[in-house]
Amino acid sequence: MFTTDILSQVVINGLSLSAIYILVALGFTLLFGIMKVVNFSHGAFAMLGGYALFISYGSYKLPYIIALFGSAFTVALISLIFEFLVFKWFYQKMFQSMIGLMGLNMAIVYASVMIWDISERSIPSPDQSILTFGELSIPMDRLWIMSVTLVVLGLFWYFVTYSRQGLAMRAASQDLEIAAAQGINPNRIYKLAFFIAIFMTALAGGLYAQTYALSPFMGERPLMVAFIVVILGGMGSIPGAALGGLILGLGESFLSTFYGGAVSSFVSFGSVVILLILRPWGLLGKPE
Amino acid sequence: MLSKSKLKIFFCLLTLAVTNTAFAQEELKIGGIGPLSGGGTAWGTALQRGMQMAIDEVNASGGLKVGGKTYTPKLVMFDDQYTAAGGRVAADRLVNSEKVNFIVGPIGSPSVLSVVPVTTQGNVVLLSNGFSPAILKNEAKSPYNFRTMNSTVEFGPAMIKWYRQNYPEAKKVALIAPNDAVGQSVVPQLEAYYIANGFEVWKELYDRGSKEFTPLITRMIAQKVDLFDLNSNAPGEAALLLKQARQSGYKGKIWQVGGPSVEEIIDIAGPLAEGFISLNVFDFDAPVAQKFIKTYRQKFGDGVINAQTPGWYNATQILFESIRRAGTIDTLKVRDTLQKMDGYDAGLFGPVSWGGMGDYGVDHQLLLRFWIVEVKGGKVVTKAALHPDKH
Repeated sequence: MFTTDILSQVVINGLSLSAIYILVALGFTLLFGIMKVVNFSHGAFAMLGGYALFISYGSYKLPYIIALFGSAFTVALISLIFEFLVFKWFYQKMFQSMIGLMGLNMAIVYASVMIWDISERSIPSPDQSILTFGELSIPMDRLWIMSVTLVVLGLFWYFVTYSRQGLAMRAASQDLEIAAAQGINPNRIYKLAFFIAIFMTALAGGLYAQTYALSPFMGERPLMVAFIVVILGGMGSIPGAALGGLILGLGESFLSTFYGGAVSSFVSFGSVVILLILRPWGLLGKPE
Repeated sequence: MLSKSKLKIFFCLLTLAVTNTAFAQEELKIGGIGPLSGGGTAWGTALQRGMQMAIDEVNASGGLKVGGKTYTPKLVMFDDQYTAAGGRVAADRLVNSEKVNFIVGPIGSPSVLSVVPVTTQGNVVLLSNGFSPAILKNEAKSPYNFRTMNSTVEFGPAMIKWYRQNYPEAKKVALIAPNDAVGQSVVPQLEAYYIANGFEVWKELYDRGSKEFTPLITRMIAQKVDLFDLNSNAPGEAALLLKQARQSGYKGKIWQVGGPSVEEIIDIAGPLAEGFISLNVFDFDAPVAQKFIKTYRQKFGDGVINAQTPGWYNATQILFESIRRAGTIDTLKVRDTLQKMDGYDAGLFGPVSWGGMGDYGVDHQLLLRFWIVEVKGGKVVTKAALHPDKH
């Protein structure tokens, strides 16, 4: 079974899975990194991204790139209402945020049930073709996800590393009081970080719904994946989310292919438990 | 203009007529249990509508004539939310508060299995659906419960035999199923049927809720299987399994001994669904179906007609005919008559045929005709009509 063809397909499958996992985890880790908010409503925002893409691309047939990024932008913009009404009360309150945002998650999910009903929908793919190299198959829609993940990761890294706003964000995440003393407005930085986090979450949600299926309950899986990836990589660490996503995606692909789904779940979750015992701050996180 | 005295006479006669009708036409409550909220809503609505169509038809023809009496059947429907707890509450209310003698539904093993003890104790005739053999095969020997839809035990052997006859070159089949009560009960049944038909079986279970199957499918492709059975997977998962199998380069046949999920699979997998073969529980293109479709459209509009709707219409019609023939609404006599309904044709599925003695120890399984369909050019084309073997 360990032939070159199969191993190559395992790597391709793993990279494609990693891309989805990384994209899903980015917004989650950013909110924690800057505001110390454990966003249990992460899946609900991913779901809203899915419906926005369904409406803009599936129903109104906007050009794909415009629909994809426009949907995420719209969801992030509308979500500023939630920031004003709910999120801002939970900044720097890790435990309260978990319960409060779990409630928000339920409210958004069941509001969506009332608006769109419970049935599963599918978002058409921009390209259903499959690239084949000998025995190797790469679906074009997965290549799209890998490309979007790379672009988003690159842009986000550039923003955080080189822009003034990005620098301010990093300063606020390290020491809020010192950052404020240097003239950084925490409220403005929080709003910006919130907007970027929800933008990335909604973008991930759109791609996730397109790859799998769209329904008001679709956010449960992305939330779980984001949580595992972020714990693995280190809460609040962007490179950690990238590394965590890569390890989880490649690991799942390899273990599921060669040893089956049960072994894969056992090893993946088992590793997270062991890591939490030995290195609670994750692979690239910082100890408190 | 009518004079005052004539008006009085007219109203007296009208009152007399209404009173007489009320005495002649007694109401007969028929219980219905099905999911009217949550993930199974489409199935519960199908049950409710199928029953209502049969009830309306009987009432339009002057009511249900039983012995010297004429009854007006009335549907009393309860939502079980597709859960065991919901089924139990619905059955308790129907049997103990509404005092019904006949219940149609529920759908899904957990709910049916929680309803059966209530209806058995209350001597209430139950016509249900659900894949678990325990629905009929139990200690009480199912004195009052009948299953009016096929389960894997009924359609599985006939379908696999059909596949073997039509694709004799197939050697190895893959079964990927959810690792829960559904997968764990259906996969061993199917495995036995495949082996009996000369197939080698490869199987794999996944966590319910998974959406990413490419690693498992790569594992499946490495096993060199030439047939992939989507078996007991729910429509959403079945569609993703098919889509990801084709995207991963699987070239063999894909079919589903279960479901049916054909429309959902076409919707999600698009052109990748081409060549997919599946079970279907009703043939909407058949000439006998056209009157049913027309009546449905008049009552419920232009939406999708769930394929279970005709099955529930059929079950309710069989129940009414057995009450007519029994000449009483006494459940023991109706139950006895129901068992002898072989040959009666309610119009959509052909003559009634009860079976199940060999599999469940009681002949309370309605053996319904079913169809094998294939996706060709994005459309569903009927390939064959089959009938379960009588055991």
